Amino acid sequence: MISLPVVLGVGAVMFGIGLYGVLGQTNAIMVMMGVELMLGASMLNLIGFMRYAWPDAASGAFFVLIVMTLMALEAAVGFALVISVFRNRRTAELDDLTDLKG
Amino acid sequence: MSAATPFAVLAVALGGALVVACLEQAVAGATVSPRVLLRRAWRQVDQPLTTARGHDAWLYHLAPPLLLLAAVVALAMVPWAPGFRGVELSTGVILFAAAIAYVTPAVLMAGWGGGRPLVVLGGFRFVALMLAFAMPLAMVITAVAAPAESLRPAAIVDVQRAVPTALVQPLALLLWIPSAMTVAMLPPFDLATAREELGGGAFGQYTGVHAGMVALAQRILVLALAGMTAALFLSGWHGPLLPPAVWMALKTLAVATLMLWAGRRSPRVELDRLLSLAWKLAIPAAIGAIAWAGLVTLLFYVP
Amino acid sequence: MSSLGTALVFWPSAAIMLVTGLYVFRTASMARAGLLLLASLGVEGLIFLALASEFLGVLQLLMMSGEMVIMTFFMVMFMPDPGGLMGMDMTHEKRRSAALAVAVAVGLAVVAVVTDWPAQTLNGEAPDVRQIGFEVMGRSMFSFLFAGITILFAMVGGTLLAKHGGRLGLPAPGGDR
Repeated sequence: MISLPVVLGVGAVMFGIGLYGVLGQTNAIMVMMGVELMLGASMLNLIGFMRYAWPDAASGAFFVLIVMTLMALEAAVGFALVISVFRNRRTAELDDLTDLKG
Repeated sequence: MSAATPFAVLAVALGGALVVACLEQAVAGATVSPRVLLRRAWRQVDQPLTTARGHDAWLYHLAPPLLLLAAVVALAMVPWAPGFRGVELSTGVILFAAAIAYVTPAVLMAGWGGGRPLVVLGGFRFVALMLAFAMPLAMVITAVAAPAESLRPAAIVDVQRAVPTALVQPLALLLWIPSAMTVAMLPPFDLATAREELGGGAFGQYTGVHAGMVALAQRILVLALAGMTAALFLSGWHGPLLPPAVWMALKTLAVATLMLWAGRRSPRVELDRLLSLAWKLAIPAAIGAIAWAGLVTLLFYVP
Repeated sequence: MSSLGTALVFWPSAAIMLVTGLYVFRTASMARAGLLLLASLGVEGLIFLALASEFLGVLQLLMMSGEMVIMTFFMVMFMPDPGGLMGMDMTHEKRRSAALAVAVAVGLAVVAVVTDWPAQTLNGEAPDVRQIGFEVMGRSMFSFLFAGITILFAMVGGTLLAKHGGRLGLPAPGGDR
């Protein structure tokens, strides 16, 4: 009953929720949480592909490993940036960081 | 793994927690009395829950069950005998590390849910400590899994049939024991969660059944970590004369006694010093331990 | 895993994952948001286990605990109202972002349903740890090396960015340590 379109559908909804967070939240860290959700959705899709469509592809598992690593990396660098910005501007709200706005 | 395995694991958890509590009494020099312990536990559950005003109720109530779940899942990964290997997974050692890792959010939830400033601080201090010590924990697991070429705890036990890993990779054992003691919230590394600390530590707001759950979870954690130490480092159930389960039990008890006794001989280590030791000494040493494990594997274990 | 077992794990886990994921952005308490994200991505690990990827599921469970705890830490540090008791509104462009999110989700779901996927069935397990190891050390070694170097750069760069004087080593204004 659970087939590939079901798994991909769940991944699509999760991606949408992450996108809602990325677009709708004002704080940089909440945006990062949205990105984590989106990357989680992509991992779910990859696992679905591995399970239902291409079972012999260990490179899919490796891709998931890389995405997991990237989640951690992006969080680390993002937090470092937020620390730096907060030290200089006393705010982490994206609406206040408008230096490059046209 | 049969259908009865989860129940057996639960039985080992509850019985083993009592044994660890008796060990604590013995190490403290008090008379060992399981009846007193059980009666104290029963009375503990009867006490009412106290809560701070404005605290986060969801996190307050969810933290002890999460801690208990993490402890029991960790215990389920420990292989006790060739016939009873707990819940056997081909990546059992990693699930053990994951279960141990969930102690950190549980304590964070306990601290934040407590609501009082010092209790929240206790939770945060434990998180800071565990972020530092989770790394040697996971790296040492990698190091000891290397000779076995498998992540199955029973396979790691079997590869030590001739020589225990403690003799081949002593640095790994040296890094593992303090990290295990930190996760199990044992002195001298329990600055963040000890009852004697300011505000009562991260669990300072827990009374009644929640405090009982936390105490039970801490004992099960000690048991799980001691059992896994015996399995990963001390050849598990291999030994000359006695049956395998007896050897495993003896080794587990020895490690548990060591972990409980070591804290009584030294004062609590300060957080700054612990973090400094972890980040600057333990993690580079763990990388060295992995390199050493690789060397040892290539030289001696790979045919 | 049998298909009934998979279904028993998959559906509740998917529901929990999506609901907690949504509540990450609807709760006012920042500690709760971080821990809800932990619940969401941790339950995703359970879904991986149900979909026959044991190693990746366990790894997801392991990594998410540490990551989300760090994220909760940072949220309490840098959010204006971490306790959630003052009722601040942390969102902007609500309607547009929701509309766009729904549109993207529907679009992806339509692509998922309409496409003709190859119908290979799984006869055993998905690639187990051993095969993943051989893949990593064999064919994907270049990507692995690259990822390692990227991790090193991220570690060094992140530490430099977060250091008190910044990357130029200047003393911080205001006299903090």
